[in-house]
Amino acid sequence: MTGRVIVITSGKGGVGKTTTSANIGTALAKAGYKVVLIDTDLGLRNLDLLLGLENRIVYTIVDVIEERCKLKQALVKDKKNPNLSLLAAAQTRDKTAVNAEQLKEICDTLKEENDFVLVDCPAGIEQGFQNAVAGASEAIVVTTPEMSAIRDADRIIGLLEAKEEIKSYKLLLNRVRPSLIKSNEMMSVDDVVEILSCPLVGIIPEDTGIITSTNKGEPIVNDENALAGKAYRNVAQRILGEEVPFLDLDEPKGFVAKIKNVFAKLKAKV
Amino acid sequence: MGLFSDIYNTVAKFFRPQEEQGDASKSVATNRLKLVLMQDRTNLTPKILEQMRGELIDLLSRYVELDKELLELNFEQEGEQVALMLSIPVIRAKDEEEIEAALKAEAEKLEEKIEAIEEVMDSSVESSEENNNENSLDENSSNVISTPEEMNSSKNNEQEISFEECHSEQ
Repeated sequence: MTGRVIVITSGKGGVGKTTTSANIGTALAKAGYKVVLIDTDLGLRNLDLLLGLENRIVYTIVDVIEERCKLKQALVKDKKNPNLSLLAAAQTRDKTAVNAEQLKEICDTLKEENDFVLVDCPAGIEQGFQNAVAGASEAIVVTTPEMSAIRDADRIIGLLEAKEEIKSYKLLLNRVRPSLIKSNEMMSVDDVVEILSCPLVGIIPEDTGIITSTNKGEPIVNDENALAGKAYRNVAQRILGEEVPFLDLDEPKGFVAKIKNVFAKLKAKV
Repeated sequence: MGLFSDIYNTVAKFFRPQEEQGDASKSVATNRLKLVLMQDRTNLTPKILEQMRGELIDLLSRYVELDKELLELNFEQEGEQVALMLSIPVIRAKDEEEIEAALKAEAEKLEEKIEAIEEVMDSSVESSEENNNENSLDENSSNVISTPEEMNSSKNNEQEISFEECHSEQ
């Protein structure tokens, strides 16, 4: 078995790389695939928190590289889903503790026994980014509809284009606020896609549920009712090659609006 | 007064169509972002852009009389490619005599420049005080340079000069 290695990156910090990694990983595992998540943000690890695994980590990626343990020993299994495991970052070391070759080797080993290896990349374009990208052949660029995030995403796309190993990269637009787009106060999905000229893999609406899910250490894809959870499940399906339409975030809320919407749809059909 | 205008604004805002309200902020962001990304992608600094603009004006002025103030040099994106768009308001085309005169003037300037550079090269071996003068000479002459070949040749000259300077200092 040779799995796919996908790096999740963004350039700018705080746009939701780690949340995206945790959710796509969980969704793919729920769909029955074997998934390993690698946190490469040395010194600033957080993926363990988002998965609720912070108390189970014994060994980290640096322990593997410095041969204090075997790779298998360092993999922490998810509480709910045995298909999902995490290779945590070291919290007490910095980016120089790992180099690109070592990370590539780990990815190559892990993809032998897993369907997916998802690499959560640190912010920035320096060593940490170079390391995270080294073993990957696909990339998901996370951005939000804000100028600074888009500019950084553009830079990252430029760097990914220059890498021969990266065969494809796609855009994930996070924290979209339909009400702001509607009032022309936020760039629309089309605007961002046009500016970056990069194919979309997902549109995730801003969802306060993300905060509570982080608090609990449980990815929002596990919440069947959350809109962001649904959007992330769709992303996973698209990664698996299915054609899933993007969520219609414009749907008006409220009782009257819903009835109006139903009539509008009926009218359209007639 | 403040209270009344507040109330007026709130009421006015309520009746204004939703699309109008934030229109500025979104399109401002999109436009600013497009421009900054063009610069990021092409790696051209504003200084180089300004130089390019100046040289284009020099070149085109030989053939047409143009409105230098309104000349626009912009980047536009077409699909995955970035295109350089030049918009030139032409006042009038020059006739053949004028063009010839302009070319002649250009050629004379070039000759002067070459002479100046040669002089500089001859004297560069002497003292460092003179070297300072030479530098200012080069700066003056660079404004007149207009084609890439000329740029290159003068750059090469500059490099040679500085190379010799190094030797003379040693």
